[in-house]
Amino acid sequence: MTSGGIGSSPHRGGGYGRVTGHQKYFADLKLPEALHAKLVTIDAARARILSIDTSAAEQVPGVRFVTTAADLPQPIPRFGPQVPDRPVLADGEVKFHGEPVAAVAAETKDAAEEAARLVAVEYEVLEGVYTVADALDPAKPLVQDPSLRPEDDPLRGTNIRKEYRFGFGDVDAVTADVVIEHTYAFPMVTHFAIEPHGFAAAPDGDGITIWSTIQHPYWLQRTIAGMFDLPLSKVRVIAPDLGGGFGGKQHPKFEPLVAYMALRAGRPVRLLLTLDETFQAVRRAATEVLVRTGVNRDGTLVFEDFVCNFLAGAYVDIADRVVTKSSYWAGGPYRASAVRVLTRTLLSNTVPSTAFRGFGVPQLSWARESNLDEAAAAIGIDRLELRLRNLPEHLEEFMPGDTPADGTWRETVDKAAELIGWDAPLPPGRGRGIAIGLKSGPTTGLSYSMVRLLADGSALVFAGTSDMGQGARTVFAQIAAQELGIPFERIQVVSGDTAVVPYDQQTSASRSTVIMGNAVLAACRDVLAKVRAMAARVYDVDESEVVTEDGMVRLPDRKFTVVEVAQAGLGRLGGEVIGIGESRKDATPGHPLSGTAAFFEFNATACEVSVDPETGQITIHRYVTVSDVGKALNPNQVHGQDDGAAVMGLGHTLMEHYIFDDAGRIRNLGAIDYRIPTAKDLPEELISASVENADGPGPYGAKGISEGSLLVTSPAVGSAVRDATGLVIRDLPLTPERVWRAMKEQQ
Amino acid sequence: MREFEFARPGSLAEAVALLEEHGAGAHLLAGGTDLVIGLRKGWLAPSVVVDCKRVPEMAAGIREDGGSLVIGASTVMTDVVEDPRIREHFPALVEAAEVVGSVQIRNRATLAGNICNCSPAADTAPPLLVYGAVVHVAGRDGARQVPIDDFILGPNRTALAPAELVTAIEIPLPERRIGSAYLRHTRRKGTDLASITLCCSVDEQGVTRIAFGSIGPRPFLVSDETGVLADPDAPDEAKAPIFEEMFAQASPSPRSMRSGPEYRLAMLRVLGKRALQTAIERLARGQST
Amino acid sequence: MKIPIHIKVNGEWRDLDIEAHHTLLDVLRDDLELTGTKECCDEGECGTCTVVADGRAICSCLALAAEFDGAEVITVEGLAVDGRLSPLQQAFLDNAAPQCGFCIPGQLMSAHALLLHNPRPTLDEVHEALGGNLCRCAGYLQITEAVLQAAEASS
Repeated sequence: MTSGGIGSSPHRGGGYGRVTGHQKYFADLKLPEALHAKLVTIDAARARILSIDTSAAEQVPGVRFVTTAADLPQPIPRFGPQVPDRPVLADGEVKFHGEPVAAVAAETKDAAEEAARLVAVEYEVLEGVYTVADALDPAKPLVQDPSLRPEDDPLRGTNIRKEYRFGFGDVDAVTADVVIEHTYAFPMVTHFAIEPHGFAAAPDGDGITIWSTIQHPYWLQRTIAGMFDLPLSKVRVIAPDLGGGFGGKQHPKFEPLVAYMALRAGRPVRLLLTLDETFQAVRRAATEVLVRTGVNRDGTLVFEDFVCNFLAGAYVDIADRVVTKSSYWAGGPYRASAVRVLTRTLLSNTVPSTAFRGFGVPQLSWARESNLDEAAAAIGIDRLELRLRNLPEHLEEFMPGDTPADGTWRETVDKAAELIGWDAPLPPGRGRGIAIGLKSGPTTGLSYSMVRLLADGSALVFAGTSDMGQGARTVFAQIAAQELGIPFERIQVVSGDTAVVPYDQQTSASRSTVIMGNAVLAACRDVLAKVRAMAARVYDVDESEVVTEDGMVRLPDRKFTVVEVAQAGLGRLGGEVIGIGESRKDATPGHPLSGTAAFFEFNATACEVSVDPETGQITIHRYVTVSDVGKALNPNQVHGQDDGAAVMGLGHTLMEHYIFDDAGRIRNLGAIDYRIPTAKDLPEELISASVENADGPGPYGAKGISEGSLLVTSPAVGSAVRDATGLVIRDLPLTPERVWRAMKEQQ
Repeated sequence: MREFEFARPGSLAEAVALLEEHGAGAHLLAGGTDLVIGLRKGWLAPSVVVDCKRVPEMAAGIREDGGSLVIGASTVMTDVVEDPRIREHFPALVEAAEVVGSVQIRNRATLAGNICNCSPAADTAPPLLVYGAVVHVAGRDGARQVPIDDFILGPNRTALAPAELVTAIEIPLPERRIGSAYLRHTRRKGTDLASITLCCSVDEQGVTRIAFGSIGPRPFLVSDETGVLADPDAPDEAKAPIFEEMFAQASPSPRSMRSGPEYRLAMLRVLGKRALQTAIERLARGQST
Repeated sequence: MKIPIHIKVNGEWRDLDIEAHHTLLDVLRDDLELTGTKECCDEGECGTCTVVADGRAICSCLALAAEFDGAEVITVEGLAVDGRLSPLQQAFLDNAAPQCGFCIPGQLMSAHALLLHNPRPTLDEVHEALGGNLCRCAGYLQITEAVLQAAEASS
């Protein structure tokens, strides 16, 4: 076993640069001759653009030009990961607060800022759609022109972009002793990565280079190639390590815009968003979910029936996938006779919602788990007991025709219950809650990796996964260290450049340890196959007698390290041994999500709280999160991800939400009035733990992690608050004021 | 940020002259924690920014002077919090100063700046009101002293006349023994702006003073001379009507993002009771903290 | 308006001609190309831009560079001595504190300032000192542990 191999926690790859300040993020890159871009927006959420006067802006010394929709090809180019509905700049109408109507290109940041202020936009404010109720109201205006929707779409004349039905069995045909029905709301929240988004483009011969804080470089490459009618080989995407992504940097936002500007300028153009602008660029879908849970008095879960309304924004982005992927699994990790889900993607004049850690599952789990608690109360059964009674066994097919339970989930739940002390007497004034949830990993996947074992026994691992803090880079080096028997410190992981690194589908869905990890593993094993052939040649044995294992090459009578054999095989000319690996999960034809779940992230979260009866302030005394991870390839990183996800979950549970005025404009842009958890907002005790049974599809039995721990934060806290006070609150966040109001109504 | 000129006067006369010359086009820079935000957002567009940290009459430092502590205008919150004399005599001011933003903010934000910016939610205003602070003002017509209750006029509005600035804040050492406490209510436990900010003092003769902020256009100072509030044995029912009368002038903005008016008024009562309790206990203990 | 300032950055005195309206953050990143100090909220709320000036942690986004004539500033690039990581930096690595890493320079500077004045802080004191440094990866437990460990190691 080599140092830094699987199951150890070597220093984060790239950690040195991060503690010395030398790590180069997008904003730190030097782009010689680059023009600075600045977006021009208006103070309205929906408005018809009457005129844009750029003359004053163009007079500012240092300004090169101002781009408006009129300067772009007509009809205006549109893009989007699911539907190409989003114009490069607002096209005649601003459809959400913050949609840019123009962009300035100038020699200095100061000039760009000054000029952006001077662009004079005349506009007429229009009535908009801002809530679920608005979006469902046929009397409200349409967010999108029907021409953007397929002609045979029956919902074309509404703000319902798509409607889906999922489930199994027949909810109407089964009977339950008790049926509990309520509606639960989850607010709009934003990612607030500490690094704001950045985008740059430069003409490169007959091609183009893009720099972006993008999580999916290859997807972006495809988008740009398509929009500019270029072969993929002429589009290069450089993606530096990100300062946080959380899903908000998955899909293109302003890369097409800066690309047009760069081609016009004949020079690089660089756009860095302010923090406020990121709030106007990305957010999570808000939801209102009606849940009906049917249970029998003996604690059997009979059916679950959902009507889900997801409030997406003015453009689809990836919102529809969020809706389908989470709604399909809305029933959660439970055995039931029937599950029915009616779910909708609603358009609104708000910031386009996009992927966000959890991908719809936190929103639905809030509703499902909270309702299950209310059902438990109605039949007088302990909330933990109710969940255990209906928890699928390992390999049980609880979703007909789909991936069965891929772990002994009971172990995870028991561990959470044990760590919170579920059966211990509660100190007075306190309450406990527990919730469980699951999220599907990727449904399809494709990643390639290349490993180059160099002549001196060091190695390069090419893996296109974006490193945004989840530690992917480190894990891949660990895999290579383990397989090739070389020290972790002698491995360099190369990513972030589509011209150099082989294809990776995307960095999302907690897929990378599994899918890319398997590709790295395959590439290492390809190297080992070549090393075995070398051993046969060099030591004159039959290849069938050569075994490679744990970094060693075993012959019938001798053993060598992999490096020794490679060096002997390479001989005096040196060189390298190159391995290629592919990891693929193909689509399942006819599957509503295009494929079954590669694995599940299963989590159980429990907490103990008290509530100040006068102010409504919630104090979390102990918070426990346990995840079924298969194998923790790097235990420290798993803890970091799980602790971090839990705290992020506490953010949307206790304090985060967009605040709007009546005209749909965001009032709390920026860090002063949009609160996220600080070091002083942690629970008094925060414990994260893993269950490892090596039962995952990834390397060494690993599953994906990093979303599990925020799936059910809200219902666990809500459950504990209810246990402490009797209060049932169905909207988030649980601010002191909301809790106080509920206490008053209770009296 | 728009461009501006930068001046760093080395004397009070120079500073006042700059203010006179540029009028509304001049803005004073102390810690910058309010000013620089205003500059960046374009709310302020001065032609000259006047950094007065090198004006000797405004120098940072806390000195004793004839029965008062005098806090120089450039004194930052961290220094207020750490000064043993402030900690001994004005613990509620310490409690307020130590929740102004984060450590980074407190290392730059000045006490005088907090008062001159005059946000209705200024954390240090309630204790300064309760302790009867006096603001030292200097301008083209010389120097004057303004009791803090007269200095604070409204949101971002003080009694400073054109070409005037604050040189120091003086707090008279208490003549009677007092117990005092500061509390505020925020949306999260971490650094935050206050939804309610409140200070209470009780003295050995039974006078209770309460100042509360972030619940109207300016913080209010009220007092109870009946001795009922200060009486540890008086029942809640006796104290409630006095509190009600005190809080009658609270007028929370219905448009505030930080909390709704009903909640604010409720928290005002909760914090008032709690701060009073602590003040009574501190008086009884014979210590200030 | 150009202002000449004489400023010590990471132990070296520099003479710079800076714009009056540029912040200390602008000058560090753009004029001096010390990009270790990061930019995020630009309103003193996130602490990402924290540097140590005259021994105290401040948000460089809220300070005009012109104010720092005669001042001594330390940025994250100034923590390592002769290329060797400081105990604090090492502790951050050992405790897996950097996840995405973007907030880490600011966290390090707040921690550095804390340990300058308080070599044996309590957990609460660490939380208070770093309370103005937001981390969205929320690696607070690991960061706090690193600071306490560094304090232990230095005593």
